[in-house]
Amino acid sequence: MDVTTAAERALVGQGRVRTGPRVNRRSLAGYAFVAPSLILLMIFALGPFLFTIWVSLHEWNMLTPIGEMPSVGLANYRYLLSDDPLFRETFVNTVYYALGNVGISVVLALGVALILNGPIKLRAIWRAAFFMPYVTAPVAIAIVWRNMLDGNWGMVNGLLDRFGLPQQPFLDSLEQAMPSMIAVAIWHGAGYYMIIFLAGLQAVPYDLYEAAKLDGAGSWRLFWSITLPLLRPTLLFVIVVNTLASLQVFDLPFVLTQGGPVNETTTLVMYMYETAFSFLRMGRATSMAVMLFAVIFVITMIQLRLLREKE
Amino acid sequence: MNRQITFMPVVATGLKYVFLAAGATIMLLPFLWMILSSFMTSQEIIARPLTWFPAEPGLDAYRGLRDAIPLGRMYLNSMIVTTLTTLGILLTSSLAGYGFAKFHFPGRDALFLIVLATMMIPFFVVLIPIFYMISRLGWINSYPGLIVPNIVTAFGIFLMRQYMLSLPDEVLDAARVDGASEFEIYWRIVLPLSTPVIGALAILAFVYQWNNFLWPLVVARSDSMWTVPVGLNALRVYASSAQVINMQMAGATLGVVPVIAVFLVLQRYFVRGIALTGVKG
Repeated sequence: MDVTTAAERALVGQGRVRTGPRVNRRSLAGYAFVAPSLILLMIFALGPFLFTIWVSLHEWNMLTPIGEMPSVGLANYRYLLSDDPLFRETFVNTVYYALGNVGISVVLALGVALILNGPIKLRAIWRAAFFMPYVTAPVAIAIVWRNMLDGNWGMVNGLLDRFGLPQQPFLDSLEQAMPSMIAVAIWHGAGYYMIIFLAGLQAVPYDLYEAAKLDGAGSWRLFWSITLPLLRPTLLFVIVVNTLASLQVFDLPFVLTQGGPVNETTTLVMYMYETAFSFLRMGRATSMAVMLFAVIFVITMIQLRLLREKE
Repeated sequence: MNRQITFMPVVATGLKYVFLAAGATIMLLPFLWMILSSFMTSQEIIARPLTWFPAEPGLDAYRGLRDAIPLGRMYLNSMIVTTLTTLGILLTSSLAGYGFAKFHFPGRDALFLIVLATMMIPFFVVLIPIFYMISRLGWINSYPGLIVPNIVTAFGIFLMRQYMLSLPDEVLDAARVDGASEFEIYWRIVLPLSTPVIGALAILAFVYQWNNFLWPLVVARSDSMWTVPVGLNALRVYASSAQVINMQMAGATLGVVPVIAVFLVLQRYFVRGIALTGVKG
């Protein structure tokens, strides 16, 4: 066994050690170190996860005792998938939000990171400016933005007015509400992905660029044939992390739009929250959670596959 | 041809700075507006043409805010909940990280796989069961209810383990030879050697918990247990009319400025922490 450590070898040399109990004590110490976390993870993650799946097969208002909730099989899932237009709408909203947010913020974050990774003055200041929104509470910045994006008196309309441009309804209109929310999300989150890209770019060996430049490659060529391939794991990580976070978005729509106008910006987790805590339909709410989890699980698995493929 | 070649890099460099300046303006302008308009009257905020500076900077908004929501209490609650949750995360993560990194025991790899698996369970999936559990414990509207479900994260354990794998075994074994107990080794040697990763996790956990909203929203039922985000959300509901926009801006300013101050002081550690999480182990 590889538990024979230097200390034990030293003691064996002195001929007064019994390896058996020694190994057991070390093992016990290992269990003791990991036990608190494992117990808490069982109570607050694994157990609740299984409970969620179980509740999704029942009808429950959280008031009847657990043992007495009527089992309904897959009725909750069937209802959501075929009889609930709002579920479909919130699903579409969530996917729309995720695609818009991920697509644009990944491109912008990579662009800024590429510039900041090159020769540039005041790098630390630029980096701080782009990253700053990310550390602030979504609730607080959503309050600021909902005032700034008001269709009648918002500050952004004030700016448009100053430049003689037509006023926009932003959060008040069916067409502009979701794009506006995506814009706020990009403003809030892109800096985080920029930092991750910067870390990834720093790992690209400088010699490669030098060699390619000697061969006469231009900066686009350098980007496509050196930077991008070497940045692939980082890019994959950023896309997946951002997608998973976007699919779970709650704070932003809850405060920015309350899901309106007419559910145009209601996301899945928001709908789940309302189903559970306003209408006490725990069976339906947990079914939504399970379905969204399934989507997230599949995306995670694809990421792991893609990462392994390259290695 | 020749002129173009010398000219192009200058244009490209200029464009880079224009791009950065435009981006940075968009990033910072909302914060500037938030702070400026918190000193305006609501009429000034919505005035056309748009004005940038309050004619008579006043604290009316902040006074109104004080009467509308229990600000001091919200800060106190957020400080207590965030600090204790972060300390809990650091303790559980460093203990388990050390256990998984430096001990050999039957079932270790299987248990670590379970930890990795729970990393894939997002909070919304377990929200309802945890809420039920906490309410059965009678912990709704209490500090334990706000804190305990969050004091362990699979991510923290993973981060600590990856770092502690690189700690030299010789040092730990030398301490064992000197008769140090396993806990003493963890407390006096492993923790001090792990300060970079502890600092990174501390800062990420603190900001995450400070901004956390969904869980305190369902657990903090009365205003005496509100955290800052929950109180700000209540302010939005309470004061949603155009007459009190300045109060909303004042509330947002008080919610955001402390975090930004901390960020500006500890920026380096933030960046390092996030870089650590981006590097897949």
